[in-house]
Amino acid sequence: KHWEDDTDEEDEDVDDTDDIDPEAEYAAWKLRELKRIRRDREVIEAKEKEREEIERRRNLTEEERR
Amino acid sequence: MASKTHHAADERRFLDERGYSGPLAPNGANPATLLEKAVRERIIDSYFYKEQCYGINEADIVDRVVSHVTFIGGTYTIHQKPTPFICVVFKLLQLAPSDAILREYLEYGGAKFKYLRALALFYVRLTRASKDVYEMLEPYLSDRRKLRRRGRMGTSLTYVDVFVDELLTKERVCGTSLKRLTDRDVLEDLEQLEPRVSPLGDIEELLEEEDNLDQNGDDR
Amino acid sequence: LQHQRATGHTGQVKKATVEDVRKRIDILWERVQEEKKEETVDLGKRLEVRKE
Repeated sequence: KHWEDDTDEEDEDVDDTDDIDPEAEYAAWKLRELKRIRRDREVIEAKEKEREEIERRRNLTEEERR
Repeated sequence: MASKTHHAADERRFLDERGYSGPLAPNGANPATLLEKAVRERIIDSYFYKEQCYGINEADIVDRVVSHVTFIGGTYTIHQKPTPFICVVFKLLQLAPSDAILREYLEYGGAKFKYLRALALFYVRLTRASKDVYEMLEPYLSDRRKLRRRGRMGTSLTYVDVFVDELLTKERVCGTSLKRLTDRDVLEDLEQLEPRVSPLGDIEELLEEEDNLDQNGDDR
Repeated sequence: LQHQRATGHTGQVKKATVEDVRKRIDILWERVQEEKKEETVDLGKRLEVRKE
């Protein structure tokens, strides 16, 4: 397999075996999932705020026009 | 043009110098140019691609992944060697497998071979329309299996769910620029997508719980 | 070479069906399980040898 014979073979030093400690692996996943959900919510909330702000400004200028 | 029953064994027609004239990917992209030119050239020059990706079909892909794909990534080492992963991606772009075959890679095969799932996830992100990308990828945000990743900086550990999240949110993954996805909330407003439900269930409660954990400083 | 036999003189390779893909997954899965079993057997043998 000479396409693998290059300089470094250090990829074995990262172990990708699953279910060594299933409980800990589940807990770590749960934390990642929560962080994602939180991040996605923050993005949506920021968008909504921006929309409200645009709306507010539009109303202001309309009032100013009167 | 490719026939209904056969694939060309090599990529010559795919990369015809007069330009690719085959069908576009479902997301409108030209499959021959989805990987960057420099990467494509390195792939075609590589021993792995020449020896393992010539004259193979959608079933042989599974064999190549199981036998040779032990990490994800685009190119690695200072020599920017193409990974077997990205070589097989390039082959898939030529084969243009159907949704039915992709589902087989993702679900039935993917449950057994995590790097096969990773390959199909990446390929779906490259070639499918936004709505289908969300629908086909999101279920695997619950796949917590480990993946090895190699890049210029060496080897690191990631997870299938993190890989999916990167494919859904990042602009570059595995040395490849990704076409912009339509935002999920826009597709929800257009009623093309239902809001995503996390396998964790009641999120409000869980977020609160997480807050408490953070305050106690023992969230790991 | 195995691929040249597969492609013959036509420079073409037959497309796989969903069933072909499923079959290949099953074959490979069995092969991997066999290899794992052999590894464990080998390991067991080596441990026995060490005990003696």
